[in-house]
Amino acid sequence: MFNKDFWSEIFMALRRNKLRTILTGFAISWGIFMLIILLSAGNGLKNGVTGNFADRIKNTYTIWSSSTELPYKGHKAGRFIILNNKDIQFLESLYEVEEVSPVLSKGGTLIFGEKSRSVSLEGVKPIYKNIQGIKIIEGRFINENDMKNKLKVIVIDKNTNEELLRTTEETSMIGKTVYINDLGFKVIGVSKGMAFGEMGQCYAPYTTLQTIYNVNEYYQLTFTTKGLNTKEDNETFKTELKRKIAAIHDFSPEDQRGVWIDSEMINSLETMKIFNTINIFIWIIGIAMLISGVVGVSNIMRITVKERTNEIGIRKALGAKPRSILLSIVMESLVITTIFGYIGMISGVGVMEIVNIIMGSSGAGVNTEMEMSVFVNPTVDINIVVMATLVLIISGVAAGFAPAWNSVKVKPIEAMNYR
Amino acid sequence: MIKLENINKTYFGAQPLHVLKGINLEVAEGELVSIMGASGSGKSTLLNILGILDNYDEGDYYLAGKLVKNLSENQAAEFRNKLIGFIFQSFNLIPFKTALENVALPLFYQGVNRKKRIMMAMEYLERFGLKDWAEHYPNELSGGQKQRVSIARALVTSPKIILADEPTGALDSKTSAEVMQILREVNASGITMVIVTHERGIANLTKKIVHLKDGVIESIEENDPDKMDFTKEIK
Repeated sequence: MFNKDFWSEIFMALRRNKLRTILTGFAISWGIFMLIILLSAGNGLKNGVTGNFADRIKNTYTIWSSSTELPYKGHKAGRFIILNNKDIQFLESLYEVEEVSPVLSKGGTLIFGEKSRSVSLEGVKPIYKNIQGIKIIEGRFINENDMKNKLKVIVIDKNTNEELLRTTEETSMIGKTVYINDLGFKVIGVSKGMAFGEMGQCYAPYTTLQTIYNVNEYYQLTFTTKGLNTKEDNETFKTELKRKIAAIHDFSPEDQRGVWIDSEMINSLETMKIFNTINIFIWIIGIAMLISGVVGVSNIMRITVKERTNEIGIRKALGAKPRSILLSIVMESLVITTIFGYIGMISGVGVMEIVNIIMGSSGAGVNTEMEMSVFVNPTVDINIVVMATLVLIISGVAAGFAPAWNSVKVKPIEAMNYR
Repeated sequence: MIKLENINKTYFGAQPLHVLKGINLEVAEGELVSIMGASGSGKSTLLNILGILDNYDEGDYYLAGKLVKNLSENQAAEFRNKLIGFIFQSFNLIPFKTALENVALPLFYQGVNRKKRIMMAMEYLERFGLKDWAEHYPNELSGGQKQRVSIARALVTSPKIILADEPTGALDSKTSAEVMQILREVNASGITMVIVTHERGIANLTKKIVHLKDGVIESIEENDPDKMDFTKEIK
């Protein structure tokens, strides 16, 4: 049955009915093409935004100093709560807390040769890199050895690095000594971003700065946790923590402010929730498009078979068996839908790949000031594409089958006289 | 070759139409028979039943000794393919196939391979002077050429019987005469032929004229076509 003759009959019929073939094919190609574009764009958005958080570890907390908004035990509202070493000791005593990295902030002017620049200097622990998702583009971040020996080393940001190197012969700041408030620091690394505006952002070992400045005031404490895996765990921990810190600093446990506690886990779960919603939305649109594609293809198939009723009648009069007619109609639609479905698939994926390449080289989709990407790797799971194509192919063939079956069942003379 | 016994056929529509009311007819092998009647007399229905393009309600129809009744679609297709060749008033050529492909089509359904199909189809086109038109599509051919293509298509399977429904109905008188001449030659080669027509001039070219009126056979007239003057217009 499926010999060379059979196939040449089918391809001949398709070639001779170009308009019909192209119209049907276009409906299929377009449906698949748009579906891929849509799903890819959605994925690109998701990849872009979630990629910004990818380098951060999730089990981290940050506590920020803030002012109260409720009066409590004789204290007036608006009192500014400053975190101190007692808080650090308290945190370290908690079972859930793994490691505390206080952030010791100092402003100052960084001087290197003739150049100077305002910077914020933060004394942090090595773990801070992972907590904040700091990217090192040259050299290294602070390590345990720097901490233990209280070395005067510094990590500078990219903009500061460029500024200091400008109009000099030097190509790298690594190993050079820079001065902040008359203290010399050796540059060990350059970090990407995290600088806002003109102010530079530098990191030094926490222990070094603690020794120099003997600080007991912190505006920011960060720490990692263990054993808090769900949103509920984190919510409970966060509420309990707030209550205890309120007790230490004597402000109302009901106070919405006083200190801010931020859980990366909760934040990322919230972000994921938003993206899951977007994802569902994209899928609804995608399925709606697929349905409209199916309807379009089905209609064309139906009309096509109606149009061919006469031809079917003639073929029957010439001795065609029902099976042979049915088979050739089904195979014709199968060939059209498969070929054009494939074309739509290839062009959709191709267009998105080109977009990907162009965006990658031009840096479009990346917010340069924030060094944040919003649109990355806009591609789609090939299995989904293949599934969607199969749905269209099957529905196209099924839609053609019913009227073909009717035309085959009808008496040849009625088919021949059909107008 | 053909034997009809008390054939009845009713079209069940809004108002049932009893079109054939007990037809008894025998056509021997090699005969050239015409069925005449006004429109609505049931002549086309009778021909469709003969060609197994339509079914009948009562009676028995024997074709080449076999009872044609309650056939499956596949059996009917086989009968039509092997025993019967059709010629229609409106030609019923497939528009997107060339003359050659149209003629070769019945052979495709017989499972003849492509090379042999093309060879045989070409042979028949050549016989009817259409060799140069083989690669043309039906809409590029004149009415007479189209009818000759469809005659070639009817003959390519070497059927036992040719059924022609108003074969000259869409043709001018000169072309009609040519087509009738061809059909007479085909019959002379031994193929049984039944022609439905409402034109006396066409019927006069056949040896037996069956007059049909209101679904019954009114009379069967023996005729000698050789007495006819072919130089005269047949309409």
